[in-house]
Amino acid sequence: MVSAIDYALWIPVLPIVAFPIILFLGNVFKGMPAWRGRWKEGGTIATIVIGTCLGLSIWLIVGYIGQVTGNESVGQIGDWLSFHMVENGNLVSYSLGFGMYLDHVSVMLLFVASFLCFLIAIFSLGYMNSDPVNLDRNHRFYAEFLLFCAGMLGMVLADNFLWLFIFWEIMGLCSYLLIGFYYERPSASYAAKKAFLTTRVGDIFLLIGLLILWNLFGSLDFSVVWAEDNIAAVDAGTLKIALFMMFVGAVGKSAQFPLHVWLPDAMEGPTPVSALIHAATMVNAGLYLVARMFPFFASPAMAGEFTDLAMLIAWIGGITAFMAALIAFVQMDIKKVLAYSTMSQLAYIFTGLGAALWFANTGHEEIALLAFGASMFHLFNHAMAKGMLFMASGSVIHEMHHVHHEVAHHDSGESAAGNAAGGDHDGGQGGGDDHDHFDAQDMSNMGGLASKMPITATAMAVGSASIIGIPLIGGFWSKEGIIGAAWKASLTSGGAWMLGPALLLLITAGMTGFYMSRMWFMTFAGKPNTPVANGVVEQTPFIPIPLITLTVVTLGGIVFAGFEFVHWVADGHAEMHFTHVLSGIGSEMKHAFLPSGEENGALIFLVTMLTIVISTIVGPATAMALYGGRLQKGEKAKPWLAWLVSLSSRVRRNNHFDNSIWANSGLADSLHQRLHFDAWYDAAMLKIVVPFANACAWFDQHIIDGAIKGIEYGSQEGSSVIRRLTTGSGRDYIMMVALGTLAIFVLIWGVA
Amino acid sequence: MISNAKMQMRDREFALISGLLAISAVLMYLFPSFAVENSAGQIDWITLPLVAFPLIAGTVLMAFASMQPYRLKDRIGQPIKLISLAFALMMLGISSGLLFGWLESINWDLSQYNRYELDFEYAWIQSIGVSWHVGLDGLSFSMVWLTTVLIPIVMITTWEEKIGWYHHPLILMMGGALIGVFVALDFFMFFVFWEMTLIPMFFLILKWGGDDRRYAAQKFFIYTFTGSVVMLLGIITLYFLQPSSQALVDQGVLTGRTFDMTQMAIGAQAAANADIAWLGIDMQKALFLMFLLGFLVKLPAVPFHTWLPDAHVQAPTAGSMLLAGVMLKMGGYGLFRVCATLFPEALLEYQWLLLTIGMVSLVYGSFVCLGQTNLKRLVAFSSVSHMGIILLGIATMEPLGFAGAIFMMFAHGIISPLLFAVAGAFKHHYHTLEIGSMRGMAKHSPWLATFMMFGWMASLGLPLLAGFVAEITVLIAFWKAFGWWVILPGITLIVTAAYYLWSMQKTIFEGGDDGEMPESLGGAPAPDISLWEVSGMMLLAMLTVLFGVLPWIFFDMMTGYAYGLFDGILLNVITGGA
Repeated sequence: MVSAIDYALWIPVLPIVAFPIILFLGNVFKGMPAWRGRWKEGGTIATIVIGTCLGLSIWLIVGYIGQVTGNESVGQIGDWLSFHMVENGNLVSYSLGFGMYLDHVSVMLLFVASFLCFLIAIFSLGYMNSDPVNLDRNHRFYAEFLLFCAGMLGMVLADNFLWLFIFWEIMGLCSYLLIGFYYERPSASYAAKKAFLTTRVGDIFLLIGLLILWNLFGSLDFSVVWAEDNIAAVDAGTLKIALFMMFVGAVGKSAQFPLHVWLPDAMEGPTPVSALIHAATMVNAGLYLVARMFPFFASPAMAGEFTDLAMLIAWIGGITAFMAALIAFVQMDIKKVLAYSTMSQLAYIFTGLGAALWFANTGHEEIALLAFGASMFHLFNHAMAKGMLFMASGSVIHEMHHVHHEVAHHDSGESAAGNAAGGDHDGGQGGGDDHDHFDAQDMSNMGGLASKMPITATAMAVGSASIIGIPLIGGFWSKEGIIGAAWKASLTSGGAWMLGPALLLLITAGMTGFYMSRMWFMTFAGKPNTPVANGVVEQTPFIPIPLITLTVVTLGGIVFAGFEFVHWVADGHAEMHFTHVLSGIGSEMKHAFLPSGEENGALIFLVTMLTIVISTIVGPATAMALYGGRLQKGEKAKPWLAWLVSLSSRVRRNNHFDNSIWANSGLADSLHQRLHFDAWYDAAMLKIVVPFANACAWFDQHIIDGAIKGIEYGSQEGSSVIRRLTTGSGRDYIMMVALGTLAIFVLIWGVA
Repeated sequence: MISNAKMQMRDREFALISGLLAISAVLMYLFPSFAVENSAGQIDWITLPLVAFPLIAGTVLMAFASMQPYRLKDRIGQPIKLISLAFALMMLGISSGLLFGWLESINWDLSQYNRYELDFEYAWIQSIGVSWHVGLDGLSFSMVWLTTVLIPIVMITTWEEKIGWYHHPLILMMGGALIGVFVALDFFMFFVFWEMTLIPMFFLILKWGGDDRRYAAQKFFIYTFTGSVVMLLGIITLYFLQPSSQALVDQGVLTGRTFDMTQMAIGAQAAANADIAWLGIDMQKALFLMFLLGFLVKLPAVPFHTWLPDAHVQAPTAGSMLLAGVMLKMGGYGLFRVCATLFPEALLEYQWLLLTIGMVSLVYGSFVCLGQTNLKRLVAFSSVSHMGIILLGIATMEPLGFAGAIFMMFAHGIISPLLFAVAGAFKHHYHTLEIGSMRGMAKHSPWLATFMMFGWMASLGLPLLAGFVAEITVLIAFWKAFGWWVILPGITLIVTAAYYLWSMQKTIFEGGDDGEMPESLGGAPAPDISLWEVSGMMLLAMLTVLFGVLPWIFFDMMTGYAYGLFDGILLNVITGGA
């Protein structure tokens, strides 16, 4: 019988193979009408390939869920490298293999990655191919896009840490290529370099961590390093160092403090790339790696050994969540708000994982699994919501850009859409110049789009609600779990230090409510701030498909919750069955709103309610008071959005408060400077590394090669000195012969 | 893209080529019937086809062409280049045939100390114990295959080089000489070929080099020659230190001594088995250092590296590609073939020295790279840095480290020619090598930009490309041997990424919608690279991917070699010393 696992290898291989094919075809057929039209400059191929991957993944997943045991299935394919090492005076042979490993975590991520990649591919067909800037180079986008997907899919499927690292690096390369897609822009090339180098710093830590791990276990296969007996046999201190080093790698990849600086700049890439990096693939890689450390922490042999490391993970998460939310307050670029939001939400997951690892390491297995499940569920919810948010922001930017293009062309009589308002060039100077001063991503140029882009506005609202954690929508279920886990940990004996991250997460929940609402209201509520925003309509094909799909998925978070997703992803033993959905929802609701019967139940209940209040009411209400507003006269939003807009205008009218003190404060200034991290890193690079390198180069040229040149010069000089002795005059030669003879006699005499 | 490849030929030339090709095909077909066989019944594929033919053919072609009247020289360029290429492809065919077992059934993975999968010996200068002894094992075969695959690729890449009737035969000769080094199992032969490689390279630099080529060629020649002279002293000392054997005297060897490496290795192994240092530990250390100097200069390692950037900057594309691709590997090869095989005790004693020099080369080299503004100097110093990894691999004294170091030689042998092909094309098309003199290469030379990015990425150790396999294997062994010192290579990996990304940012990227042209072009448009260059680079890129994804094709062979070396002699020494 043919089973899906036999074809699983094709999931990463197909896109990798398609990568050079699209590049090649694109270079050959560049500019041809059919290539641009039917083939979408490679987009068709990419969509088909990634669709096939999605199909294979679903086949795999369905088969996997069907297994009641929920155990991992391993497909070892073969040895990649085999070699020998000297052990106690003997040659022992080892090998690094490759194969596939499937369990509940990898299956979940496999679905997230392939599903989102597929939707983003569809989105790109609309977004990339209708923008003249991308003309004749979309094949590069689609090829690199596929390689990126292959990196993520391969990483998730890998059965050992070496291949995890290999695909991890492939993703690093692709992020470099895609962030630098608009290579002609200095900012894009700088951002690409920054992303690669920053994550590279983390990667080196990860690599060293893997070296230590290999040395401990003599293997990097999951099945070997997770085996209870093997873990029990190694030194806990060394293992902790290895895990710490690997965690730093995850910090780099998932853009956590202090290696977070690359992520906001990564917005230089086209919007589908942002969706790809921030939702589907790259940033999840770091979380996946930390999740893969769970067995080490849960091992009874290591109980109590790694509590401080788990605490560190939670703290890094807490700090990043808070810091990113703070910076998101002042961002005007719609994509940058989302970038910081990503950073902040990933930090939630890190804290959740930190708490889960802490519980696992202190022997609270059941609650550890719950926290772990909640973190993974948040990863799922965040990926879906953030993918949608990025695509929705892309939709806004695309239409803004499009209208601006037409407004700018209005005078020259090119096809101006009837709804393009007036000839007022706000900042736009020249006719065909796409890179003039108008910023299609700046939220201050938007406003009032709720009626003009109903699908986008809805998607954005649902996505924001999920990120904020509005009750019953996607992210709510998981975020409550994470915050609850952090608080529970802080109340457990020995976990007092967890109070910091727990508090930070609680505050951040309210801040999330503020900045996400701020983004939505600035973009969609109020009156259009520019003529360009006034002329926007939703008209690009393909873009609505992923938006609607993901809206449904996000709204369906309650169903996933009812499926006991949390339990399933944690240990794979929950029964995923339709008949249980309703009772599952009931128990989840009770769990979320009325946690009782547990230790400190009252306090957890209080925390839960507090979270709901500040994230759902305080944060959004503040945003409404500052940025809300009625739509333009005559414009009418869809009924499910209209109440939101009118509520916001009412809140603003009733509570108009002035935030100029904050906006002009030194804090806001620091936030605009991203808390100066970028400046410090740049300064360290320019003031220390570069001068040192220049000194090395100088040393090499003047001292080392100078010595060689000195010898050259010395030998030339010396030979010309000696040449002076050959005067050519007989008298001198007779003199020398006489002296020589004398010397020989003296020597002989002396010896004798 | 195809810049008129001048493929038109006259009938006479066509006849000449097809005739020669037909003759060589017939010769090749008949070769097994008249070729010499050794006692194991293997045909000698090495002596004539891999070493003698290219040397003779190169000389004959050059002599033939230079005797032609001046007005004909341009016209015979094309056929002579084609014949050179045909010879190069024939060599590639033979080495690939040996690899895949089409010609002889050989399992390259099963190496043993001092046993060669192909082994042929003929008397040469019997009175002093010199023989023509050639052989191939897991170590040398990978290098020979690398050479045979590089020679045709170099020819293709530099197809449009001026004075082709002189250029391509020189490359062919270079190939013969290089293979001679790798197959030699006799110190006399080894040294002869070692020095012979200098000659074609010297002329390549002198004839096709940049403005300062005279200085560079002389520096290259004299510097490496000086290193070799010390090695020669080592060889002579070694020769006279070995005990005189009556058996050899009876065979007609006047001194009773031999230059044969395999004979010496037997002695070394016997001594190691008896737990004594062969030739005495002090003498062994002295010899080790003498050889080491010769190899380090060639490798090159800091502080003996300054000839390399000068030579590379001035050398033409073909010269750079072969210099970085194969000639540097002679140093690493020698370390294994001589130092590790014959002087194991001294190797163990001087582990710290190799570690220090390797580490300095690696770390210091990478920082010097970061301070360069000349593209070729940058790539040259990156070679110095990568060669440090070979020394580190040896210093680990682990079979894995050895195998990784050999794979590094192999991987660098594929990747660095690509880097230099790119740098050469850059020079050719923009008339400058300054990084930052122009921007937006992706716009006006997309193919060059593609290969530049590929090569740079391969060189900074991206997974699934050949360089990564070498780095990860050496690092695994390194951690086991030296622990936290791994931080230094780690920093180097970051610095390597930094200088490569920086140089790409300042060449491929930026430049606005139209890109920025260098002043050296004087406003003329920069064409993209020719089809020849694209083909050559494409082949190198494909090889890089091939050996990055399927490294075991050669890695198993290198593992086998390292196993044989440890099993045969080094393990005895390590455990004996402990």
